[in-house]
Amino acid sequence: MFSFLNPGFLWALPLAGIPILIHFLSKRRLPEIRFPTVMFLRALEPREIRRLRLREILLLILRTLAILLLVCAFARPSVQPKAAAARAAAAVAVVIDDSESMGAMDEQGRPRIEGARERGLAIVDAARGGDEIAITTTTGPDAPLANRSGDRVRLTRTVRQIGATWLPGNVEQALERARRFLGRSSLRAHEVYVISDFQATNFTKGAREKVALLSRAGARVVLLPVVSSRVPNHAIEDLDPALRPGPQGKGLEMRARLVNHADAPSERLSVRARLGDALIGGGDVTLQADESRWASLPIDWRAGAGAAAEIKGKAPVVVESDVDALAGDDRRFAVLGAPRRLRVLRIVESRAGEPASRFTALALDPAQDGSGGYVVETGTPASLLGLGRSRYDVVLLEDIASLSSDAEGRLRSFLREGGGLVIGLGPHADLDYYGHKLFPGVVDLALEGTERASEGQAFEIRARAPAHPILEGLSLAVGSPLTQSRLTAVSKGRITSSRAEAIVTTTGGLPVVVAAQQVSIFLGSFSDDWGDLPYSGAFVPLVRGLVDHAARAASLESGDLSLVGRPPTAHLDTAPPGAVVVRGPESYRSQATVASDGSGFRAVADAPAPVPGFYVFEAGGREAAVAAVNPDPIESDLRPVSMESLQAGSPDPPRSILTVRSLRTHLRDMRQGRELWLLFLVLAAVALAGELALASARTVAP
Amino acid sequence: MAKTSQRLLDPHFVSKLARLDLRARLVVDGFLTGLHKSPYHGFSVEFAEHRQYMPGDPLRHLDWKVLAKSDRKYLKQYEEETNLRATLLIDTSASMSYSSHGLTKLDYARQLAASLAYLMLRQKDAVGMYAFANGRGELIPPRSTPSHLRQLLVLLERLEAAGGTDFASSLHALAERVKQRGLIVILSDLLDDTERIASAIHHFRHRKHEVLVFHVLDPQETTFQFEREATYIDLESGDRVTTRPQELRVDYRSRVKGWMDKIREFCVEKQADYVAVSTDTPYDRALLEYLSKRARLL
Repeated sequence: MFSFLNPGFLWALPLAGIPILIHFLSKRRLPEIRFPTVMFLRALEPREIRRLRLREILLLILRTLAILLLVCAFARPSVQPKAAAARAAAAVAVVIDDSESMGAMDEQGRPRIEGARERGLAIVDAARGGDEIAITTTTGPDAPLANRSGDRVRLTRTVRQIGATWLPGNVEQALERARRFLGRSSLRAHEVYVISDFQATNFTKGAREKVALLSRAGARVVLLPVVSSRVPNHAIEDLDPALRPGPQGKGLEMRARLVNHADAPSERLSVRARLGDALIGGGDVTLQADESRWASLPIDWRAGAGAAAEIKGKAPVVVESDVDALAGDDRRFAVLGAPRRLRVLRIVESRAGEPASRFTALALDPAQDGSGGYVVETGTPASLLGLGRSRYDVVLLEDIASLSSDAEGRLRSFLREGGGLVIGLGPHADLDYYGHKLFPGVVDLALEGTERASEGQAFEIRARAPAHPILEGLSLAVGSPLTQSRLTAVSKGRITSSRAEAIVTTTGGLPVVVAAQQVSIFLGSFSDDWGDLPYSGAFVPLVRGLVDHAARAASLESGDLSLVGRPPTAHLDTAPPGAVVVRGPESYRSQATVASDGSGFRAVADAPAPVPGFYVFEAGGREAAVAAVNPDPIESDLRPVSMESLQAGSPDPPRSILTVRSLRTHLRDMRQGRELWLLFLVLAAVALAGELALASARTVAP
Repeated sequence: MAKTSQRLLDPHFVSKLARLDLRARLVVDGFLTGLHKSPYHGFSVEFAEHRQYMPGDPLRHLDWKVLAKSDRKYLKQYEEETNLRATLLIDTSASMSYSSHGLTKLDYARQLAASLAYLMLRQKDAVGMYAFANGRGELIPPRSTPSHLRQLLVLLERLEAAGGTDFASSLHALAERVKQRGLIVILSDLLDDTERIASAIHHFRHRKHEVLVFHVLDPQETTFQFEREATYIDLESGDRVTTRPQELRVDYRSRVKGWMDKIREFCVEKQADYVAVSTDTPYDRALLEYLSKRARLL
């Protein structure tokens, strides 16, 4: 639809009649000259006069047109794509991604959130009087931060105050808030602007479906990506709070999980561990493209604490790497404790007077002195009756036929207390018992007998999830063989829910290693009954991985891992003498709720941690514990979702606008239409130039 | 009358012409003696020869003395010195009334005709006059008496420009009426179809007349120096053309020049003399240039 934004100027349109008026006035007042003959003029008429008349008409048209165009240019002509959209006020929902990744810097050191704010302000600026605007963020509360366009000052202030948080974004919820807002509005025209870096990790399937839903509901969805092309993108994804003995039991080391999200190998990353201001350890790491792995960092504890005795306490350590685009994930906090030795109760059965195999015991504690980080105690199923969380961290069932109900009950209780469970099935295991009695409630895995390889053949087992902690001791890629050893039989299992994951499978797809919460299942045999796996180099790291996973899962469950946005949590060994107060960075202060858990007390702050850092739990005026709070590593991967995937499945696919300038043009088109004054001005100039050229082309003779 | 003569005949101009003789190039019929050789053996003053009487010859030319002496019939023949018989043809069509600077083309033609008449009468040539327009004309036959000048001047005084030219019809009609060969002097703007003009001149030449064409034009007709856009009305047909002179000037001039060249060419072709005069050209200069050229030709 064509309209004028300054229609007042259209009163000047009659000015366009001036050339016509002058033309006709001059014609009317033409002098009459009596001349001897006009035959020569007549003779010229067909060739010249007609041409001159045509030129005269052209000149008249050009002059009139020039004035018309000039007047129209001052009246600010504009075209609007749809009359309804242009005329009617619109309900506008603005979703601004304020997740941690929006703090990522571009090459000029400008965080993405600035670009997001700029776009948000452009939308607010373009609002008309009758528009309703709601602004919501991906980490915000369950209501828009601001709405109604009547108070534009407030809207502008709201947008200006939006900054990148330390929280992961929940785009799906933000879009749902937008949908609810639009649903409540009485206005018929609906617009949704999504300002984000469109991280693939944030734009989940649910978020994509919400976009399609909004589109299908008739809302005009506009995607405004704020991205930078800075390539390096690595992160410290996790820290193992437990110190470990160094190689050959010498010294200590801590483990940091590093990830390279870029599509190219990382540069040599320098990773440093600090205790306060003192550097206590570190190392250099190079990561392949898209690689995620644990790196061991040698720690010289005395450099920080000054005394080996400090190891026994809890020490807040910061691990940092070279900074890239997203600085927040290049530093991570951890409270390291004394070197942890996992206490493993290994349950075996001797059969036909033959002692049980000792492969797992040797794999975990070859020196039998706990120096490898594992203290292994071997027992029979009856030993489970004395099982307690205070005594053991992990139970390892090795080819046990079945458990008595008492032992099973004790084992389940142990799991509830946060203990870990590793099960190695084997030729003697009663699969019916495991599948139907022990596994329900422990791991969603059905067992369907034993699968044996053909005579003289063996199963080839491959890593299906090579980045899984169980396989962290093995450098594997997806689909690469786990070992060259021969595996002649496996228990035939079938995963029945997403809570269990096949980490290693045969080439035929049978699960060999299954991971679940607190539980690791090995569907082969830990002995040499079903092949020569115990003799391969992969056996030791695999067994340790299975035990570590079970123990770590227990640790996670106990809430030792604190994330920004969640209440800081700490484990207290003894009951606090009074109320527990939590203090943290940026003047954070909160009360904590204390409850008993299996191995002591668990203190949970009442308020969520707003930023990463150390949060100190004080009881009776004294420091009782320290919790390390880190951002959710999900925000580290900056790779965006493809716009095509967001535009699919909608009858009116969302439009993607890359630059602020294009956005302003789009908004102008939507609100006021596409302004054409410049075009009109240019056309007027062209008309005038044409008039001048035509007029100067006269054949004037002296 | 004297006043009319003074107005029509500029004494200064006439005194200039008096130094030159206007001599007819061709031998024409005439009764008066002059400077011109007649091709006819007429009956003038100077005896030439006798010839035998033939039945049908007029008896009044018999030499009665010879008849009395010898009883033979002889006719007396004289070699006469004849004068020029000139007829001044004046175009009085409406287009001749045009003037861009006070003097109309008709005024100019009128004065030029009076000058020529005076000149010719001084030479004892017979001068006639034919004022024509619209296919018709008023003829005063040529005479050489001095008093004839008055009659001519009276006619000239009466002339008024009106009507169309119809040049050819008028001249064809005159050509039929003027039997004796002589000089035909045409004073006109020749605004007619050039083919018809050529046909008329050819008619005179066919009857052995000497033809002299004074092409009288106003300077504006050749230069078209108008400045502003105007509606131009044809004085004869009333046709109107509105145009911008500055746009057409070059082409107009070119076309007028082509037209004049064409007239000049067919005049040359018909052995007629063509003199283009503008109403701002002094009479003396126009006549002197012409007479000088005639003198060179004789």
